[in-house]
Amino acid sequence: MVQLRPRASRAPASAEAMVDEGQLASEEEEAEHGLLLGQPSSGAAAEPLEEDEEGDDEFDDEAPEELTFASAQAEAREEERRVRETVRRDKTLLKEKRKRREELFIEQKKRKLLPDTILEKLTTASQTNQNKSYLAVRLKDQDLRDSRQQAAQAFIHNSLYGPGTNRTTVNKFLSLANKRLPVKRAAVQFLNNAWGIQKKQNAKRFKRRWMVRKMKTKK
Amino acid sequence: MGEFKVHRVRFFNYVPSGIRCVAYNNQSNRLAVSRTDGTVEIYNLSANYFQEKFFPGHESRATEALCWAEGQRLFSAGLNGEIMEYDLQALNIKYAMDAFGGPIWSMAASPSGSQLLVGCEDGSVKLFQITPDKIQFERNFDRQKSKRHFSWGGRILSLSWHPSGTHIAAGSIDYISVFDVKSGSAVHKMIVDRQYMGVSKRKCIVWGVAFLSDGTIISVDSAGKVQFWDSATGTLVKSHLIANADVQSIAVADQEDSFVVGTAEGTVFHFQLVPVTSNSSEKQWVRTKPFQHHTHDVRTVAHSPTALISGGTDTHLVFRPLMEKVEVKNYDAALRKITFPHRCLISCSKKRQLLLFQFAHHLELWRLGSTVATGKNGDTLPLSKNADHLLHLKTKGPENIICSCISPCGSWIAYSTVSRFFLYRLNYEHDNISLKRVSKMPAFLRSALQILFSEDSTKLFVASNQGALHIVQLSGGSFKHLHAFQPQSGTVEAMCLLAVSPDGNWLAASGTSAGVHVYNVKQLKLHCTVPAYNFPVTAMAIAPNTNNLVIAHSDQQVFEYSIPDKQYTDWSRTVQKQGFHHLWLQRDTPITHISFHPKRPMHILLHDAYMFCIIDKSLPLPNDKTLLYNPFPPTNESDVIRRRTAHAFKISKIYKPLLFMDLLDERTLVAVERPLDDIIAQLPPPIKKKKFGT
Repeated sequence: MVQLRPRASRAPASAEAMVDEGQLASEEEEAEHGLLLGQPSSGAAAEPLEEDEEGDDEFDDEAPEELTFASAQAEAREEERRVRETVRRDKTLLKEKRKRREELFIEQKKRKLLPDTILEKLTTASQTNQNKSYLAVRLKDQDLRDSRQQAAQAFIHNSLYGPGTNRTTVNKFLSLANKRLPVKRAAVQFLNNAWGIQKKQNAKRFKRRWMVRKMKTKK
Repeated sequence: MGEFKVHRVRFFNYVPSGIRCVAYNNQSNRLAVSRTDGTVEIYNLSANYFQEKFFPGHESRATEALCWAEGQRLFSAGLNGEIMEYDLQALNIKYAMDAFGGPIWSMAASPSGSQLLVGCEDGSVKLFQITPDKIQFERNFDRQKSKRHFSWGGRILSLSWHPSGTHIAAGSIDYISVFDVKSGSAVHKMIVDRQYMGVSKRKCIVWGVAFLSDGTIISVDSAGKVQFWDSATGTLVKSHLIANADVQSIAVADQEDSFVVGTAEGTVFHFQLVPVTSNSSEKQWVRTKPFQHHTHDVRTVAHSPTALISGGTDTHLVFRPLMEKVEVKNYDAALRKITFPHRCLISCSKKRQLLLFQFAHHLELWRLGSTVATGKNGDTLPLSKNADHLLHLKTKGPENIICSCISPCGSWIAYSTVSRFFLYRLNYEHDNISLKRVSKMPAFLRSALQILFSEDSTKLFVASNQGALHIVQLSGGSFKHLHAFQPQSGTVEAMCLLAVSPDGNWLAASGTSAGVHVYNVKQLKLHCTVPAYNFPVTAMAIAPNTNNLVIAHSDQQVFEYSIPDKQYTDWSRTVQKQGFHHLWLQRDTPITHISFHPKRPMHILLHDAYMFCIIDKSLPLPNDKTLLYNPFPPTNESDVIRRRTAHAFKISKIYKPLLFMDLLDERTLVAVERPLDDIIAQLPPPIKKKKFGT
């Protein structure tokens, strides 16, 4: 008969914990609990029992540590507090860094700009040179105007020639009449003279050179 | 007449720009036309539909709206966000005012003519007050905010004032708003269906609105509908589906009993207010006539008291007089189509057989081909040397070229834009040509309306748009300003034409309302003035040896004036007494160039777009009963009959459409043709038409 020794790994602490509070306080506790509960039931315990027996001889003379719920909870709370502290410190550090960078940028920009006096002169001067032969224009305004004008032209092009409009090529349009004649004729732009331009040029050059060679050999 | 070899030139790749807006002025019977390249042309409809003035275009100027205000002031607005006023006397742009609303899509002058309304890209409608010398911003109308279920506040694409000036209608994308002018707030907002009885994903763009005095608003949109709305209640009254493509323009007659719409398929529809039954007083709008005179989109229409005017992407300007409005049923009631320019864009150097073609932003210099073959009348001779494209000269800057000229010896090329004048010296070595620009041209030469070189190429004559006439001496590679003739009495009119005599003594200039002035070039003073005629001059030239000045006017009258005698010649008086043949007077394109034969002083060669004519002053003049156009009678007819039917006007219609025709030497002519199909082949895509069986 197989004797079932009391399995030392089944910790009585967790059972105690369950009886005591009936709730899981923190993630860590839950993890522990899950681990402990995840033990396989001793259905077919014959073989493993023997192994356990051997292993248990060496280590398992003492009872496992008693871990009260309160201590575990306190530990968890400590962990949490530590984590929160580090996060807060990181945040403040980042804020400091950003502030410093902003100040640096403002300084650099100030250094880049001309002194205030010259700027004032420029703004007043731009209104007075109406009758000169040149025109001073702010590039930023011009870019904005150009982009808006381009957007407007794109809108018109899209609404007249874009997708959804029923457009056809001029060639097809003019050739419609040819198709309905009693003697059907070819399209108005039947030949495409723009194909193979390079090929045609090469052929012309080759022909010229061939003719020259022919003339030479004839002589 | 003699035998001529004719150089038939078809390599001038002239493509006019499409027409974008037209505006008709009732008081002066003039039409302002703006094209897609920014050019604005003024046509005088009482002077036989002649283009009397034009403002050159600019690359960044895309006009979207054109309108006349009180006192014959012309305004335009475009996608660069500026409102421009044109000075019709000085032929320049008075000022350009930024409206600060982004690109401007539409503009309308109030019925009283003292206020201007513009519709902008950001959805705002701005009101400007027209002051005697400028315009002033008054206020903004309420802008509509975009809501989640519908996008209000879109670009305002069309505007129309109520004839009383109290309300305006603004058409945008998918909706039309009615504003009250005094308060500036929107009274009604009417949502336009995207498609007639159907659902469509494409937004419905309201291309045009018109506000009638009984409160009806007529709108045309991109779904092909013409809709009638009641502005008092903000509801749709009637809807007509007239096309499968966009309906892009609308114009209402002054009496509000008819209006015209133009579609993207090239069809123009006429709607009229007709009584429901013959006796009832109730009237309704009925679509009466379709006109198909265009192949591409009709982007603009106008309604004059007697005619419908339409223009679009296919670059024709079409005048269709309405039969019921025309009093006398004569040739005036015929269809007029203006396709070819009313001024000469080609100049010729006879000594070197060169042609200079003027485009909007560049010039091309070609050398004519040559042939050694001979043949009989009507033969096409093979070329031994092809025509050569010698030079492609691009202009600096965004402005269009106003005028250009090449000297008769071929060594100087000059052209002018609004802000600069360019003069180039050409050197020919063997077959190569080199170009050198003459720098530091004086500022008063810019904005020249006409440039002409003297026959020996030593002097340059420039007519500027201020009315002054400048004479510049050219020598070697440099120039020297000799003299400037200031405008004489009479108001300065634009379209100044110049003519110089081959011996270099006389210079004729038309450009004032006082008539054609003739100046003595050697003594630098005014010699005489040809009496004023009420139609503008279309072409002028001075004959060699006799120094007779031949002038052609826009009503097809031709005068000959003897400069040394300071009076009209006898031949001219005879012609005026008898009058021209009625078919000659009914030609609808103006004469653009006159030239002479060096050895035959009795011949005058002139041409218009569809014919060229050699006037033989020694032969009798035709009266109204003779056949005007009589090509060579068959040779088996007896000499007597041939002599009897021969008359002074030898007209040939072999080469057409003609842009330029000139005598190169005693036996050679050059004719520059521009077939209409070649122009159409380079236009943007038209709307597809489905025909049964294709």
